[in-house]
Order: sequence, then structure tokens, then C-alpha cells
Amino acid sequence: MSARRHLAWGLASLLVLAMAIGLWSWIARAGLVSAVFLPGPERTWAAIVKGLQSGVLVQQTGQTLRRMVLGWGLASVLGIGAGAVIGLSARARVWVLPLLEGIRPLPASAVAPVAIVFLGLSEQMILVLIAFGALWPMLLTTAHGVASRPARLAEVSRCLGLSRTAYLRKIALPGALPDIFGGLRLGLTVALILAVVGEMITAQGGLGTRILLAARSFRAPDIFSGVVVLGLIGLASNAILSLAEAWLLRWRPR
Amino acid sequence: MPAQILKVAPRPQPVTAAPLIRFAGVGLSFGRTEILRGIDLEIAAGEFVSVIGPSGCGKTTLLRLLAGLQKPSAGQVSMAGRPLRGPAPDIAVVFQDYANALLPWRTAAGNVALALEARGVPRPERAARIAELLQMVGLGAHAERFPAQMSGGMQQRLQIARCLAQDPSVLLMDEPFGALDAMTRHKLQDELRGIVRRTGVTAFFVTHDLEEAIYLGDRVIALAPHPGRIAHSFPVTLPPQRDQLSTREDPAFLALRRALFDFIQEASA
Ligand SMILES: Nc1ncnc2c1ncn2[C@@H]1O[C@H](COP(=O)(O)OP(=O)(O)OP(=O)(O)O)[C@@H](O)[C@H]1O
Ligand SMILES: [Mg+2]
Repeated sequence: MSARRHLAWGLASLLVLAMAIGLWSWIARAGLVSAVFLPGPERTWAAIVKGLQSGVLVQQTGQTLRRMVLGWGLASVLGIGAGAVIGLSARARVWVLPLLEGIRPLPASAVAPVAIVFLGLSEQMILVLIAFGALWPMLLTTAHGVASRPARLAEVSRCLGLSRTAYLRKIALPGALPDIFGGLRLGLTVALILAVVGEMITAQGGLGTRILLAARSFRAPDIFSGVVVLGLIGLASNAILSLAEAWLLRWRPR
Repeated sequence: MPAQILKVAPRPQPVTAAPLIRFAGVGLSFGRTEILRGIDLEIAAGEFVSVIGPSGCGKTTLLRLLAGLQKPSAGQVSMAGRPLRGPAPDIAVVFQDYANALLPWRTAAGNVALALEARGVPRPERAARIAELLQMVGLGAHAERFPAQMSGGMQQRLQIARCLAQDPSVLLMDEPFGALDAMTRHKLQDELRGIVRRTGVTAFFVTHDLEEAIYLGDRVIALAPHPGRIAHSFPVTLPPQRDQLSTREDPAFLALRRALFDFIQEASA
């Protein structure tokens, strides 16, 4: 895409955002929804500024971000590792994949009580919850990507005398990268959601706890400020991932 | 062209040496379909063998047996007196489908590097060797291009460079110049013949192009189909020093071309 078209698309999406905020502001001011439930953008913005000045919101954002990144990282290592093994071995696919397909549809929220039994309402429990939920997209995309490499490259690897690990590192995983990125992206969204859910369950601080406590005491601007920050985290983390993807997959034909 | 492109000691063309490669009663069937039958073939070290035959007669399959990528269902393929157990880095393969045989996420230089990495060539020594090989196949200016940014002919030349980086003693090629224009094809034919003569590498060259088979080969093997078998082995009686113009006008060349043409006509009928 040309730089000019890029700019045009960027401006268009900004315009849509501005219109949405305008609509939100209008609904709030017209009193279509009670101000107790729906604060306007102005009051939400004020809550954000206050949170930033007192440092509370900064701290909560940091906590949520840290959990999301740690849980997502854990899921990536486990998911890509296990996915590579499963993708490489036809036997592993036959034996293990049906089991995994059976576990995968379990909602992470249903797994939470189990995690609580073993780990209590703790930091570790949140991380396990995130890792469990975010693991599947990475595992399945990696397994699929590794398994669907063209057979020719496996032959090239044998002809060159590459070891099995060298094949995995230099051919199978880089070749699966376009698929893996799909999993990383999905996993990131899941990780953010589960970080918030975990924080709501455990009350260990973070934006999830902020939103939960604010809801209990009807502090709508605090709820909305938390939601807005979560939206920004989602947007920013996806943008960073897109940049990494564009760089790492720059070899793809355009 | 520097003589140290391949680091094997240069030696004159050996013709009477003990066979490096031996097919003894080799047959191959996929399930109930018999693809190759009763292949007996000896190839001397440093020999250049061209293989021709109608489409689907089993040329690629024969090459895959020699590469160790396929196990014979009858007979034995041996190299240097030992039965071939599987692919070996000493045997390089230029695949027919070059687009699938390159790593699309590596640049031209990176693809050549793969062979050097596999051989355990230390990193500091790689760059010079990569530049040398790319230069040789005419890709010197395109070291940083990804395969998707290269034409079919360029990709094929890159695959050849990677095979040479293996420093093989046997070079198997499956219609390597099929995608090239006439000029590049002639240039690479001369380049290839030069490399083979300089380094003593043994070449097994599958082609559809009868003239190419004669021009490059010391011997042309003709496969007949259903099932694939060696119908003829034509010695090429041309002087070892070949030239794109005069060699192709040589009466021996023309006579052999006629013989091969008649064979293909008959075998395809
Ligand atoms: N994996 C396979 N399973 C079954 N049959 C196969 C397989 N591979 C090749 N064949 C068959 O073996 C025969 C020989 O194939 P091969 O690719 O060796 O022919 P070829 O001489 O290289 O043809 P071309 O000149 O078109 O490349 C063909 O009839 C093909 O259909
Ligand atoms: Mg073929």
C-alpha cells in the first residue's frame, strides 16, 4: 500500500473514532442513559487524568500489563514448543491431538476454580489461568504450520545433512511463522481478557480489580476509565505485534 | 573463473577409474505400479552422465534413488562400494521444482549459507564463499533479495549455488535449466561443464533437451517407459573442450542428436 493510501486510511479511522466519541458524549449529555451508569467522555477523561496524577491508574495498568505479558509469554513458550513437537511427529498428532482437542473447548473461566484450589487467589493462579487460555491458539497454529511445510524442504534438509533440531530451528519454525503469528495475535487478546478476569476473581489489584471495585460502589467514571485503558492496551499490543510481524515476514510475496 | 570455487583438488577427467556409483538390478514399484525395472548402471568418478527419456518414464525417480531419497524395492544402489542408506551431504540435489526447494524467508545469501551452516563452516569464512558462489551463478548483485523477489531462472541459479556450497562429490540435477532463457542457459551450461571438469565432481543430469544432454555429457542414457528401464547408453565422442557454436555443428553431435531424436520418437509412440 502506498504511503498516501496509508495516510488516508489512518485519517478515516481517526474520523470514525472522533464520531464515536461524539455520539457517546451526546448520548450521555442528552440523558438517554442515567449518568450513574454512563459517564460522558469528559468525566471519563477526568477520571483518567486523576488516576494518572495520583499514580493509582498507572500502577494498576502496570500490573495488568505485566500479567498479560508474562502469561502470554508463558503460553507462547509452552504452546510453540508443544506445537512444534506435535507438528513434527505424525505419531504425536495421532496420539495427543484428540486429547488436546478435547481439553481446548473448556472455557478458561471453568478452569479457574480448579486453579484456585491448587494455587489459591494468588498471582500464580492468574498467570496459570492466562497461560491455559492463551496456550491453545499458539499450540494449534504452530502444530498446523509445522506439519504443513512442503515435503520438499524436509528433503532439502536431509540432503544438506541438517540435524533434526537444525531442521526445526532453521526450516520448520520459520516456515510456520505466518501461522504462528495468527496464534500469537489470538493468544494476546485472550491473555488480556483473562488477565482482567483473573484480577476480578482474585482481587489482586490491576485494572480488573479497579473495574470490579468501582462497579460495586457505582463509580461509573472509574469503570469507564479502566475500560478505556484496556482498549488502549489491546490496540497498542496488537500494533506492536503487527510491526514485528511485518518485519519478520517481510520475505513474503506482496 | 577462479579454480578454487569447489575446494576439491582439480584433476583431469578420469574415464577408466573404478565406478563411483553402481546400480545393480534396481527396481522400484509404488504399490502395484512398477516404475523402474532392472536398472544396471555404473558411473565413474568425474563422469558427466546425461539422462533423457519421454515424460513420466522415471527420470526423476531414478535420480531420487541415487539421492537416497527413495529406497529401491529390488536390487541395490551403492556409492564408493558401500550401499546407499539415505541422503548424504556429499550428494547434492538440484530439484526440478526450485520454488519449493528454497527457503522463502532467507535471502539469496542466506539460502547459500544454509548449506555452509550444515557443513559446519565457521561464520567468518562463510561470507567470502557465499559471494564467490553467487557471483558464479550470476547473482552477485542480488545477494540480499528474497526468492519471492527473483525470477524463476534466478531462483534456479540460486539453488545450484546452494548445491555447490555443499562441496559435493556427486551433483544430481533434475532439468535444472528448464526455466532459463537460451542465453542464460548456454552460459550456465558452459559454467557447469567448467565446474565439473575443474573439480572432478560426478554429474547426473536429467533433461528434456536432447542437445543439452549431448553438449554436456560424456555419456547419454536413454530411458524407455512402462516400466522405466535403460534402453540405450550413448557414448558422446566429442572432444572434452566444447563450444556452443562449433560443438553443435560437429558431425558427431548431429549424428547423436539424430539417434536420440529417433529414440524419443519411438519411445513416446
Ligand atoms: N510417489 C509416487 N507414487 C506413485 N507413482 C509415482 C510417484 N512418483 C512418481 N510416480 C510415477 O512414476 C512415474 C515416473 O515419474 P517421474 O517423476 O520419475 O518421471 P519423469 O521421467 O521425471 O517425468 P518428467 O520428465 O515429466 O519430469 C510416473 O508415471 C509417475 O506417475
Ligand atoms: Mg521429472
